[in-house]
Amino acid sequence: MLHVLTMLLAALLALPLVAEAQKPIKVGMPMPLSGPPALFGDPATKGAQMFVDEINAKGGVLGRKLELLVRDSKADANEAVRVARELILKENVDFLVGTLTSAEGPAVSVVAKENKIVFIAPIPKTDQLTAADKLHPYVFRVAATTTMEGRSAAEIVARWPVTRVATISFDYAYGQDVTRAFVEHLKKIKPTVEIVDQEWPKLGEQDYNPFINAQMAKKPEAIFSSIWGGFFVTYSKQAKALGVFDAIRYNFIGVGEAATPETTKSMGADYPVGIWGNSYDAFYWGETPAHRDYTARLSKYLKDEYPSSWAIQGYIGMQFLTEAIKKAGSTDSDKVSKALLGLTVDTPVGALTIREKDHQANRGQLYGKTVKDAKYPFAIMKPVTYVDPSKFMD
Amino acid sequence: MSARGLTWLLVFVAALLVPALGSRFYTFLANDVIIWALLATSLNLLVGYTGLVSFGHAAYFGVGAYVTGILMKKLAVPFVLAWPAAGLFGAAFALAFGFFCVRLTRIYFAMLTLAFAQIVWAICFKWNELTGGEQGMPEIPYPDFGWLERVGAAVPLLSWRTAEYFYFLTVALVAASLWALHRIVTSPFGRMLTTIRENAERAEFIGVNVRRYELAAFVLAGAFAGLAGGLFGIFNRGVFPDFAYWTKSSEVLIMTLLGGMGTFLGPSIGALVLILLNQQIVSYTEYWPLVLGTVLVVLLFGFPGGIAGAVGVLAGRLFRWARSA
Repeated sequence: MLHVLTMLLAALLALPLVAEAQKPIKVGMPMPLSGPPALFGDPATKGAQMFVDEINAKGGVLGRKLELLVRDSKADANEAVRVARELILKENVDFLVGTLTSAEGPAVSVVAKENKIVFIAPIPKTDQLTAADKLHPYVFRVAATTTMEGRSAAEIVARWPVTRVATISFDYAYGQDVTRAFVEHLKKIKPTVEIVDQEWPKLGEQDYNPFINAQMAKKPEAIFSSIWGGFFVTYSKQAKALGVFDAIRYNFIGVGEAATPETTKSMGADYPVGIWGNSYDAFYWGETPAHRDYTARLSKYLKDEYPSSWAIQGYIGMQFLTEAIKKAGSTDSDKVSKALLGLTVDTPVGALTIREKDHQANRGQLYGKTVKDAKYPFAIMKPVTYVDPSKFMD
Repeated sequence: MSARGLTWLLVFVAALLVPALGSRFYTFLANDVIIWALLATSLNLLVGYTGLVSFGHAAYFGVGAYVTGILMKKLAVPFVLAWPAAGLFGAAFALAFGFFCVRLTRIYFAMLTLAFAQIVWAICFKWNELTGGEQGMPEIPYPDFGWLERVGAAVPLLSWRTAEYFYFLTVALVAASLWALHRIVTSPFGRMLTTIRENAERAEFIGVNVRRYELAAFVLAGAFAGLAGGLFGIFNRGVFPDFAYWTKSSEVLIMTLLGGMGTFLGPSIGALVLILLNQQIVSYTEYWPLVLGTVLVVLLFGFPGGIAGAVGVLAGRLFRWARSA
């Protein structure tokens, strides 16, 4: 009798332990899901969710399922902080993966630091996120940085037969940082270059005509732009009407993902085909079997023949987190944070490594000249090259 | 002790006991509510007691938040100086803006308050060197609880986290501020504000300098809004230009209307209800503004006195019913 009782007691005591092991690992994801930035934020959450679904179908991590809790950060730093704290305090999330703008990322980083929770930023590019004075054990980034992006663009422009270069960027953190990186690197590798004009429209500007006219009066031979996303659509339509691209013989490079399939698709015949641009991903890239496989799965998951180029950032963010949990054998943020240092993961775009020095992954981007291709009803980058940023990272 | 005093004491003690529930989330929510309660009550000094509808109250809240934030983060000024400075700056801005605003009436007054608030927001948004621009200013340090935390660590029941010490501090400071505001509205000065609200012309006839009284109310409201902002920046772990944006002004105006601007405690109740509703409804539906709109319409038509007014009416009926039965 006593034995039976002891066993019963033991079983009762073990019960909560079993339940603990089966509780899902919760990951909070603050991401803009409303307004124009939702065009990127929404697919990024879908990419993350596809990864979670796939890993759960295989039995999860450490025998536990992953659970993704997505919240709208409204592309606003204050709101992002608010939902991040709520995810931690109310939903008891174990980790944070998310944020999009260069304002949201550093703000949520502070919350992660105070709550000692690992935070992986998949999209914000500002150098400040992982700058020496802001770095702490819990923040990591799998996005490119303004330094990497600006210098990659400078390498391309340096090869063009031009000396008179102009820039146009939004007057805020991302625009200023990426333009500075571009100009400094270009002057270093090609000292003959002269920056003839710099235009700074405000973020979200609708009428670019005054800026374009002022710029063209300086007779540039090439233009660097970091006007991103849907704003690039507005800008390039107005620039095309004023003959900008013909005047500079398409010596134009648009960073801030001006050549994503989504942008060229949405602009159709209006797209200034012949300019250079970049993108985090492109379904037609297909360099490796891993990328072709990923694209096929994403296409099915999103039920879209030409799946979004932004999904990959959510996917890679979750991939790094999961691999780190496996390596640490624990969901303890201190252990996972240590596991992330120097961690190399085989992502759909190839092997990426998070550096120990500044918690930054060597995430490059695709660059290429846009051309018309008979296979698609919109412009694509061809040839499209993955620019490995390792050599540009300080 | 009067019944009113006892109620106040009970609310105060109840607020202090929130962290003992053991949930960091409840403490977080309570902290949010308490700071907004102070902001809404400061607005009520204008809207409810003086009859001046301000659409730009967030300006002084934002100024206070930035002042405390910049002083504590960039200049390492201790909280005991940085927090009162928020009140002083709030008052100074209110004096400068109010000087022009009180020269206008009704809709023109409201529009001008809104215009000044947008100017403050634009400065916070553009002045990168001082305010951090649109990225805001994250990581405002908590006040130094050094000796408290050392004492607390030695006593088992008192070993709280920094966020909880800050909560206790907020409760104490907001209670003191509300007490001061209550003294103001019950003073002869406060009665004169009510007279102006009821009939400004008549007040003028009996020799009251209406503009000067209105300006005084405007400055006091700005000062307490600044104090609320100073606390909120620390609580929010960062100051952002949004604090001074018109949406914040409308939020606090809704709190005041929802809770009831006719009563002293109304705006605090409004803050509590609005934040809790927001928390609960957002978890279930994205149509939160629709729900809020409906609630407001029902309240404005059914109970113009807000929640506090409605409770008062119902309590009165119940009381009469009990006596007649």
